[in-house]
Amino acid sequence: MPIDTTLTARLGITHPILSAPMDVIAGARLTAAVSEAGGFGILGGGYGDRAWLEQQTSKLKSCSAPFGIGFITWSMAKQPDVLDIALAAKPRAIMLSFGDPKPFAPRIKAAGALLICQVQTEDMAKQALDAGADVVIAQGTEAGGHGASRTTLDIVPAIVDLAAGRVPVAAAGGIADGRGLAAMMMLGASGVLLGTRFYASIECDGPEEGKKRICAASSGNTVRSIIFDLSRDNVWPAPFNGRCLVNDHARRWMGREVELLQNVKAVAAEYAAAKAAGNFDIAAVIAGEAVGLIHDIPKAGEIVERITLEAEQILQGRRNSSMTSPSIAR
Amino acid sequence: MWPDRRVTDLFKIEFPILLAPMAGVMDQELAIAVAEGGGLASLPCAVLSPDKAREQVNIVRQRVSAPINLNFPCHILGDPDPKREAQWRQRLAPYYLELGLDTVSSVNSAIRAPFDEMMCEIVEDVKPEVVSFFYGLPDQRLMKRVRAAGCRVIASATIVREAIWLEENGVDAIVAQGVEAGGHRGMFLTDNAAGQPGTFALVPQMVDAVKVPVIASGGIADGRGIAAAFALGAAGVQIGTAYLRCPESKVSAPARAALAQAMDDSTVITNVLTGRPARSVLSRLIREVGPISPDAPAFPHAATALAPLKAAAEKLGKDDFTTLLAGQAVRLGREMPAAELTRALAGAALARMSKLAS
Repeated sequence: MPIDTTLTARLGITHPILSAPMDVIAGARLTAAVSEAGGFGILGGGYGDRAWLEQQTSKLKSCSAPFGIGFITWSMAKQPDVLDIALAAKPRAIMLSFGDPKPFAPRIKAAGALLICQVQTEDMAKQALDAGADVVIAQGTEAGGHGASRTTLDIVPAIVDLAAGRVPVAAAGGIADGRGLAAMMMLGASGVLLGTRFYASIECDGPEEGKKRICAASSGNTVRSIIFDLSRDNVWPAPFNGRCLVNDHARRWMGREVELLQNVKAVAAEYAAAKAAGNFDIAAVIAGEAVGLIHDIPKAGEIVERITLEAEQILQGRRNSSMTSPSIAR
Repeated sequence: MWPDRRVTDLFKIEFPILLAPMAGVMDQELAIAVAEGGGLASLPCAVLSPDKAREQVNIVRQRVSAPINLNFPCHILGDPDPKREAQWRQRLAPYYLELGLDTVSSVNSAIRAPFDEMMCEIVEDVKPEVVSFFYGLPDQRLMKRVRAAGCRVIASATIVREAIWLEENGVDAIVAQGVEAGGHRGMFLTDNAAGQPGTFALVPQMVDAVKVPVIASGGIADGRGIAAAFALGAAGVQIGTAYLRCPESKVSAPARAALAQAMDDSTVITNVLTGRPARSVLSRLIREVGPISPDAPAFPHAATALAPLKAAAEKLGKDDFTTLLAGQAVRLGREMPAAELTRALAGAALARMSKLAS
């Protein structure tokens, strides 16, 4: 029996599971795989790379299920025409994160797409609702990649209360299995958005070494900081910073961010070279705190199935959550 | 009846809700009230003398027939480092000047001592049903004696590695402390406070890694949070901040007012209060000297030089230097008797679980 929520109804999907628009690595393959499994795949439009977006959206033409396209709002705002490329692909929804969604809402709605806004505070949620968001994603600090400081357990019920049933609220940050989906529904969310779990899937375009490191990492092996943004000379607006796996580079600069800033040119050159060479002792593997729950690299569709099955059993009281989750049964 | 019996059977309590032991802001009164509501009565002994601890246990025993959890820290007490102390006093000198205090006078304040021979004798004597440890566990000799006294032993972990270590060293249950939690970080195999996962990410990872029951703590203050913790695989919850505003706590009137006004972003992790990272409501001291200061002496010595400032400021009605430890769910705290609150929390959680099951 599928889990029907206001989110599945709003997006016209079977399972309340969304894959995060991870910049460039959430390509057409992952997006289509999640959507065709009954979840909702969201293409990682990220900063707004025109050529990449054209190539990936053309691949999505053959996707038989509804999908979304996501952007980093403040970056997309610098070249707003990339939104037209996205809208031309007829996504069910556009997801905007990190910045004021208001300027883009009319174009999205006029194109017949829904607006999904990811927020990290109550003030951002109010801004999203004012802009006419159809779905709000409450993202906790546990999330991999960019985010802010409040935790999932804290921010989700707060945003659920604020939305007061007007729009569905989905939860993001620290979720990688059916227990997480069930727990989020206990907190009042009507679905979840997962990034790191889908990074470690066959269809994700992320580097194999990154996937392997996610499988090997355990809890406490991630850090939210400005080190990696500084190191790639990528200035983000406050209050956002990024969570990645702890590696040699993070250990080297943790607590010495000011010094890093003073040497940013040299560090950025070294970092870019390491990234090009696939050296993840220096380059970041972007991942969230749920890394310790991820031990394999299955197909994305299988991830959707496992999470749904486990959450259904927990919610119906047929399964004790302390039982080993199917995602780690070996 | 609670559906998951692991923790209720282990401690012989009605609801799997543990009162967080909050040193300095509570005594037996709050513990008794939580026991009356069906939760586990915890008594923090970190800043108590052995005699005082014995006295509090005796009062609980006289008033309720319920299990008691005595809580002790297991840190390694280092000697004060004179150079660091001097830097710290220098850092605080402007405040001493402002309050007209003499900076050179040394202050004799109670030092937080780790669990030792004397406290172990109290445990053997009063035989609490549960003993909980923080910052790891005492040495094997003391552990054996606590076991021999018939106590269940539980301890806190902030990362999976600590939980595995605790299980290997024979605890009966583990308190998973997420970053949302108020008070001191229970970390003992790491000193990287920035790496502490949130409760939500931590609990299922710990549940997968150990066989003993995991008790979720940090950011849980209502029925939704409790239901979510159980969905993640927790067998119980430990709640502190939500009880601070209960009439039975020892929180001062000005601090109660501050708690009532605190918002979800009012707390921060700081090392300036004692030298170990702890989540606290922002104060003038934390804002101006912290939240993290390299000058703060090692735990618990940073607190020594703060004591006169706190006393002098409070005399003037100011809470600039007053410690008010609280977690991220501070806004969810309610002003109601603790027994009633315990039953309300359990009832709301059960309602939530059955509503989603239908």
